[in-house]
Amino acid sequence: MPLPHHRANITYPQNAGRAQGFECPFKDCGMEHSTADCSIDVTLNKMVEVVKVQMAHSASNSANIPLRLDERLNMRNLIDTSIDVMPRSRVLHGSRIVSAFTMADMGELDYSSELSFTPLDPDLEETIKSLDVALAGDLREIIRGECECQVCYGLMVDPLTTACGHTFCRKCVARVLDHSTLCPACRRPLPMRPGATTEPSNKRMSHAIEGLLTDELAARIVAVEQEETLHEDGWMPLFPCTLAYPAMPTFLHIFEPRYRLMIRRVLESGSRKFGIIMYNARGVPQGSLGRSVFMQYGTVLHISRIEVLPDGRSILETHGLYRFRALESSMLDGYIIGRIQRIDDMPLAEEEAAEALETRGPVPVGDNHEARISHMSTQALLQYNLDFVARARTRSERWLHDSMLTAYGQPPTDPAIFPYWFASILPIAEDEKYLLLPTTSVRERLKMTARWIRVLEEARCARIRVMRLARPLELEVDEDEASQQDDDDSTVSTAEPETPEAAETADAQPATANSPQAFPSDQSQQQQ
Amino acid sequence: MALPKRIIKETERLMSEPVPGISAVPHEDNLRYFDVTIDGPASSPYEGGKFRAELFLPDDYPMTPPKIRFLTKIYHPNIDKLGRICLDVLKSNWSPALQIRTILLSIQALLGAPNPDDPLANDVAQRWKENEPAAIQTAREWTKTHAMA
Ligand SMILES: [Zn+2]
Ligand SMILES: [Zn+2]
Ligand SMILES: [Zn+2]
Repeated sequence: MPLPHHRANITYPQNAGRAQGFECPFKDCGMEHSTADCSIDVTLNKMVEVVKVQMAHSASNSANIPLRLDERLNMRNLIDTSIDVMPRSRVLHGSRIVSAFTMADMGELDYSSELSFTPLDPDLEETIKSLDVALAGDLREIIRGECECQVCYGLMVDPLTTACGHTFCRKCVARVLDHSTLCPACRRPLPMRPGATTEPSNKRMSHAIEGLLTDELAARIVAVEQEETLHEDGWMPLFPCTLAYPAMPTFLHIFEPRYRLMIRRVLESGSRKFGIIMYNARGVPQGSLGRSVFMQYGTVLHISRIEVLPDGRSILETHGLYRFRALESSMLDGYIIGRIQRIDDMPLAEEEAAEALETRGPVPVGDNHEARISHMSTQALLQYNLDFVARARTRSERWLHDSMLTAYGQPPTDPAIFPYWFASILPIAEDEKYLLLPTTSVRERLKMTARWIRVLEEARCARIRVMRLARPLELEVDEDEASQQDDDDSTVSTAEPETPEAAETADAQPATANSPQAFPSDQSQQQQ
Repeated sequence: MALPKRIIKETERLMSEPVPGISAVPHEDNLRYFDVTIDGPASSPYEGGKFRAELFLPDDYPMTPPKIRFLTKIYHPNIDKLGRICLDVLKSNWSPALQIRTILLSIQALLGAPNPDDPLANDVAQRWKENEPAAIQTAREWTKTHAMA
């Protein structure tokens, strides 16, 4: 492996080894990789190990068969034709497969070369053939054993190898990431984005499976596709109601019969999943949906708990899984269904490159907030946000009410998740919060929340100045009165200095108001 | 909903290569629900007992762990009155690479090695720590009364 070097200006994700990198020695790649993304391919090594054992066994059974192997070079693959390469010729023992393996194991067989075989004893031709047929069958079987995914117990489809060296189907890794950030095999952290869409496939494993288990793989792919059309990633019921985010809880009250039907079907199908979307109140065009009544980006929710009331209404406790974009929509028995496309964050390499690029230059001078936050490392951006929350807490701000923390938890320290938590509890305009959904860079999301903070703090300062001028001694009282007001139309970007408190207090009712006891929040999660 | 291939395979393997001292048989009308019997491990206070339990595979299985509960009464610091089990692999340490077989083996191992420092049944754990021989004697008696039909 090439010598690693320090990768400057990369703070996210903060995993051991990500600060170290090396230039990829493979000519067709040549990229910089982080050492954390590199380790021994456990599954492939195991496969090679069992193949070796089988070969040794077969070799001992066919040690009395001498065979001449003549290498036929593949001229197209010779990189440097000026070197005079001579095709090799060896007499080895064993059947064709065994002797070819022996030659490769000796390091005398080029990857792209072919071989021709000549038995030294022509009478053994048939014996060799039958030995090879039997061995090929055995090899297929033992390799099949190593190509089984430990998550779905099927033949691996599109094998993806984790940084810790374990291999699973790509779809299975994606499912695991919906629930956990640890490798199922060794429980080490997976430095991956939800969805696992950007990591490369394991080419060697793919070739082995495609070449040796062709028919079974084809059957598996068909089965997987069928399972999928039954489940998600295709059409999904969409519930127009409110903003929701991945990794955050959303509490819903379902009373309209059409939505009761929708929820019942979602439960009966076993998927327990549906998409939640916001109304398109301003009639803004929504991509391929045109001027639809709802916004194109939403979040898939998983129903974790349901309480059905005696009159048929129900209260749902849901958990956000992933974001999506609706590509087209239709109606089914009164409710909306949409064909959706999952939205995941950009590859880590791109995220890291963006951070390194933006934070490279000298610290900007002056009071340009945008330049300042652009120059902050991703961890520093997170800290900037967390510091604001800590300050708000010392001021006992209403939106940080205990009941909110009970419902949404303490501020997450995962930079990818923090903005979702912040947006879930911060009382600012929904239009503004919605912009987190299409944003696929962790850094950009943190910059967005940092901009909100800037506006809120400026508004706060302006308000304190105004009040100091008017009635300096009654400042505390005034602030409390101000926060009693409610103004649904305010947005962060339009917060005017003369009514600055609006931005800070919109929607900020105590989380327990009007909500059933078991569900400690109602922040606009009631069905419309 | 159709049963995932993984559950079908696990069930087949449980039938074709049963674990000594453990049986798990799915219900005919609900293939996610298993009747489980675990033999008390040798040289433990549960030796000679046959402990019945129920096991259910939730919709999200194997992303979420199976739900297991003892039906036979058992005196054990990590199993409460309702038969619920305190075992890390059934909670935070679950991994989709674990399976019904490994979970049942872990439970059998837990019977062989009670851990009163991580209790679910506090009164039992208390007694286990204060007077281990007496607690073991009680566990033995309960085994005789409830787990030997
Ligand atoms: Zn590379
Ligand atoms: Zn799989
Ligand atoms: Zn691993």
